Amino acid sequence: MKKKSKQLITLFVNGNEYEMALRPNRTLLEVLREDLRLTGTKEGCDDGVCGSCTVLMNGVPIRSCLCLAVEAQGKAITTIEGLAEGHRLHPVQQAFVDQGAIQCGYCSPGMILTAKALLDRNPQPTEGEIKESISGNFCRCTGYNKIVTAIQTAGRIVGGEK
Amino acid sequence: MRLPHFDYYAPASLEEVLSLLEDRQGEAHVLAGGTDLLPLMKYGLRVPSTLISLKNVILLKGISIRDKEVFIGPMTTLAQLQDSPIIRDNFPALHQAVEATAAPPLRNIGTIGGNLVQNTRCLYYNQSKVWRREKPPCFKTGGTCCHAVPKGTKCFSVYCGDLAPALIALGGRLSIESKNRRSITPLPDLFSGNGLAPFNLADDSLITGVIIPLPGKNSASSYEKFRLRGSVDYPLVSAAASITLQKGRNIKQSTLILGAVGPKPVIVTIDPLSPDLRSDGLNREALDNLLGKKAPMVDNLAMPGAYRKKILSLVALKAIRRALEAIPKKESQ
Repeated sequence: MKKKSKQLITLFVNGNEYEMALRPNRTLLEVLREDLRLTGTKEGCDDGVCGSCTVLMNGVPIRSCLCLAVEAQGKAITTIEGLAEGHRLHPVQQAFVDQGAIQCGYCSPGMILTAKALLDRNPQPTEGEIKESISGNFCRCTGYNKIVTAIQTAGRIVGGEK
Repeated sequence: MRLPHFDYYAPASLEEVLSLLEDRQGEAHVLAGGTDLLPLMKYGLRVPSTLISLKNVILLKGISIRDKEVFIGPMTTLAQLQDSPIIRDNFPALHQAVEATAAPPLRNIGTIGGNLVQNTRCLYYNQSKVWRREKPPCFKTGGTCCHAVPKGTKCFSVYCGDLAPALIALGGRLSIESKNRRSITPLPDLFSGNGLAPFNLADDSLITGVIIPLPGKNSASSYEKFRLRGSVDYPLVSAAASITLQKGRNIKQSTLILGAVGPKPVIVTIDPLSPDLRSDGLNREALDNLLGKKAPMVDNLAMPGAYRKKILSLVALKAIRRALEAIPKKESQ
């Protein structure tokens, strides 16, 4: 099969600029994991349903498995690796650890990024707002209560810091 | 799952998009949000040799009021629709349909134009290549049989869009353009009723706008949806209601638009003189009789057709009641 030509694009990921030559059929998820080795972003269903591949694009959660890397050109991408400052975890990450909300860990990057986007917009969300915001992120350990508690805890910390 | 290879264009003007569509008719596919198209491509169900991204065409984004109509660019995301006061205040059915569509991250990239032309679905079609390999190709994949209806002579795939029923209830129209033509089309005319090719949209044409008239006094609309998981699923059945009352809160005009019941949304006009369907006397049995023949559902979604048929009148009743409750009592006197 004839390979379609590569395109030169610039990706902004976690504050870093990457110039890359990519075939247009590569998804953002593939490029993050395989080219940039940012394997914190997980591949789950690869079909847009489960939410484990969630990253932030210009601060908004999206499915990286349903986004072509060439479509992400010029947008600010944040992956789970971009949250901590050195060894200091982001308050949402710390709350997930403290509340035992990590569990098997596979959904955690997507959950944490979705929660961060929510708290950036609304530092003191109600329980209903939290559940609505993470409704597109599946936890197959089914430990949603601890996740909701962790996000509420992080909200108090983030809200207090502001 | 890897996407097949394709040529990719992301022009900045509508003219360039329409020229590309004309030059590459039959080979090119438009890329809006990608939430419907890319899974189909991963499954090998769509293999366009060219993708034309609309992300750089500013003209195709945004919501504005023009005279007594609201104009929505097809690249407006579902999240933008959900957050828009214009939509929330004037078009409850559309707002409720958007809120019920997929999950928040999908609404952040999914668009109204892409949502309208999402492909029809079937349990035996929306599967991976490996899964499908175990059965002969069906009508929708180029074969000569239907796995959902073994003696069926046509494709029974189901249109599962949430926004179309709501937009039809609201009297929505589409602006459709090609390089040399522009037309305004009532939204129901977009649908062919054929599961194999569900849309009356030529290969060189593009939806360039969704137009909705501002609602009149004493009218209301609503949308209700039944799905397995409240968080993310497509509808198993859905109903949008559009109701106008006259003095005394009697129904002057009432329309139901049924979703996920066949290859296109089904429009059902309710006789305002029917005593069973007066605003104070709605009952499920009357709706069962009315809707039963309009929606011959088969076993090709996550729940059996017979079950979905039973649920349909309940969903329709909820939609009618929700619309009626939204009409302030003083305005109908």
